[in-house]
Amino acid sequence: MHIKKERTNLAGLMPVTGNYKEADLVLLLKQRDRSAFDYLYEQYSGALYAVILNIITDRETASDILQDVFVKIWRQADQYDPAKGRLFTWMLNIARNASIDFTRGKQFKNSRKHLDISDTMGHLPENIPFDTDRIGIAGIVKRLPGEYGKLITLAYFRGYTHEEISKEENIPLGTVKTRIRKALIVLKQLL
Amino acid sequence: MDIKAYIESGIIESYVMRLTSPEETADVVSMMSAYPEIAKAVNDFEISLEQHLTANAVVPSPDVKQAIWNELNPDFLPVIKEDPAITGTAVRRPATWKYLAAASLVLLLISAVLNIYYYNKYADARREYNGLLAERSSLFANLDAAQTKLNVLDSSMQMMKDTAMQIIAMTGKNSKATVYWNSRTKDVYVLQNEMAKVPQGKQYQLWAIVDGKPVDAGMVGDCGDVLCKMKNIPRAEAFAITLENAGGSAVPTMSQLYVIGKV
Repeated sequence: MHIKKERTNLAGLMPVTGNYKEADLVLLLKQRDRSAFDYLYEQYSGALYAVILNIITDRETASDILQDVFVKIWRQADQYDPAKGRLFTWMLNIARNASIDFTRGKQFKNSRKHLDISDTMGHLPENIPFDTDRIGIAGIVKRLPGEYGKLITLAYFRGYTHEEISKEENIPLGTVKTRIRKALIVLKQLL
Repeated sequence: MDIKAYIESGIIESYVMRLTSPEETADVVSMMSAYPEIAKAVNDFEISLEQHLTANAVVPSPDVKQAIWNELNPDFLPVIKEDPAITGTAVRRPATWKYLAAASLVLLLISAVLNIYYYNKYADARREYNGLLAERSSLFANLDAAQTKLNVLDSSMQMMKDTAMQIIAMTGKNSKATVYWNSRTKDVYVLQNEMAKVPQGKQYQLWAIVDGKPVDAGMVGDCGDVLCKMKNIPRAEAFAITLENAGGSAVPTMSQLYVIGKV
């Protein structure tokens, strides 16, 4: 998804055509350049939406979350630190956190009251309707062997800490950490 | 520090996925700045994750974008106001156009005035030029006439300088004329030094006296101050000019003898 567009940099000196380089995009975003933000949306909204759908399967709710995510990206652009990683990674984390935060909200909990968390986890692939287990990160997680998929689902999509997983799954903390890391090494190879 | 083992431990991926503890996160950040290989490993995984997710994206409804833009509209506006470059152009643009329009009108007027001014100058110059052109042609004509006259005078002069040229002065009552007779070519020329103007229907006629008898040597035309070329006369004792009827006579009218001179 490469969107070719014409824009003017903030100083209005010269029009730039084509894709933004990461550093330029970051600089323009921090300068509150609307064109850069527009580009960011066109380029990444679909990828972030897919990850939100991995956590919140309802499309309408996921759309609301996506809206909140982009508002946060715009308003919190100053907080992004390139030394810590790429812009997309930062945005992905905002999307993931916003989604997990929503699942922990009162409304969401009430709507899922009848579902036991362990039950949800155990049947997660089946419970996610239509294509949401094939998009975003869930698509890869589904392909992880054995217990790895469950651990990543808990850690990444549910936002459980290692300690919480250790308690829930009755696995020693050190083992949780080791398995999650091994699972991610496999996940990387599946990308 | 075993960099390779660290990279392969899975902490890189955990960090990117934000599945590390705050302590681990701080550790990876400091390792990234210390070891370019680690920073590269982080970046590589980020890029492959980004590419995978971008390739497996779900396009949201266009309403979402609209909703975001609506929500951020108040945020967008002050930013635009704060930007002097954008504000500057937005405010200045109409003023610039007005100024340019006014300037072009002024230039048009100046151009029109200059057109009239230069057209008048051109017409004057054209008239002057035509006058000069006419003057020049008349000067050329005069020059031509003068040149022709000079040529004739020059050829007369050359003839008179010729050593073979015999000069016979002819005299009479109040009249004087000269015959130039080339003894080599026998060509005869006559110069009217002092001759009365011929009446209407009359003409001077030159006679060569050969063996006491007058021989016609031709009619003296209006040659002005230059020599008139006459008939070729092989030999003669004297020359004379009489006034005859126009066209000449076979025998001279002796009562009308104006000048005579012996060779």
